[in-house]
Amino acid sequence: MLTERMKLPDATFPVSTDDGPKTVNLSARLNGRRVVIFAVPGAFTPTCDSAHMPSFVRTADAFRQKGIDEIICISVNDPHVMRYWGRLTGAADAGISLFADAGADFTRAIGMDYSNPERGMLNRSRRYAMLVEDGVVTRLHLEEATGVCEISGGEALLAAI
Amino acid sequence: MTISVGGKLPEATFVKLGAEGPESVSLGALLAGRKVVLFALPGAYTGPCSTSHVPSFIRTADAFRAKGVEEIICVSVNDPFVLKAWGEATGATAAGITFLGDADGAFTKELKMDFTAPHLGLIGRSNRYALVLEDGVITHANIDKPGVCDISTGEALLAAL
Repeated sequence: MLTERMKLPDATFPVSTDDGPKTVNLSARLNGRRVVIFAVPGAFTPTCDSAHMPSFVRTADAFRQKGIDEIICISVNDPHVMRYWGRLTGAADAGISLFADAGADFTRAIGMDYSNPERGMLNRSRRYAMLVEDGVVTRLHLEEATGVCEISGGEALLAAI
Repeated sequence: MTISVGGKLPEATFVKLGAEGPESVSLGALLAGRKVVLFALPGAYTGPCSTSHVPSFIRTADAFRAKGVEEIICVSVNDPFVLKAWGEATGATAAGITFLGDADGAFTKELKMDFTAPHLGLIGRSNRYALVLEDGVITHANIDKPGVCDISTGEALLAAL
């Protein structure tokens, strides 16, 4: 289960690029860096679309001023969906990296997975935001309910670091 | 079951995004006593699905209706939120095409049409096929080889009708 002071497990995510499919390695992005990671239940779902992602688009520059090297959004979606969602929400323009946990391996490894079959959401991620320094979680804002975006929003995490 | 002409599709429950949020849809109820075209593809926002497969059914939707087809259904292993966004983005919703999410992939597995390509971030997705169904019985079946969008297009199925 995801907690503060935890070292994140390594993960590899598929990425869709103009040059075809590529992969990114999470630990390579975390080693020796200060990174903000936030996770959402799904691209194009109401709260993620209307509240969570926009809160990080708004605060991306303020995070950088606080020395954050990268902001990463993780969701259990495929990389094709993530790429378009990043474009449509303005996240790509704001410099936010979107990682697709396509098989939910990372989300399961940190105990953040949930399912809500009636909504067509299987093995998705709970909503959280965290500061990760050299791969270790130093601040964790985990929402109790998946449909709520309060403490996991960009402004709330920014105020805490 | 394996898809074959003369076979009857198994009952399945899909998720669709309605005005009040996600709702379940019974395939049997959609097919009973009606002539329906059903096509399936690997995923919303993936290259050939967006640029070839869905557009081929947008182009031919009226011609199918002129041949007595009452509904054109696209099935994909995606959640209903992604499918709704994609249906609007491609113009398929405006063309009257219905999108049904086989969110857990159960229907696709039952038809033995599932494949997994981890490097593309596609897990338990559907190969391409297009069917004409009369009262739930398959009268035409055009099944493409993995990775190909050829005989499962709108034009190819229309020509076979």
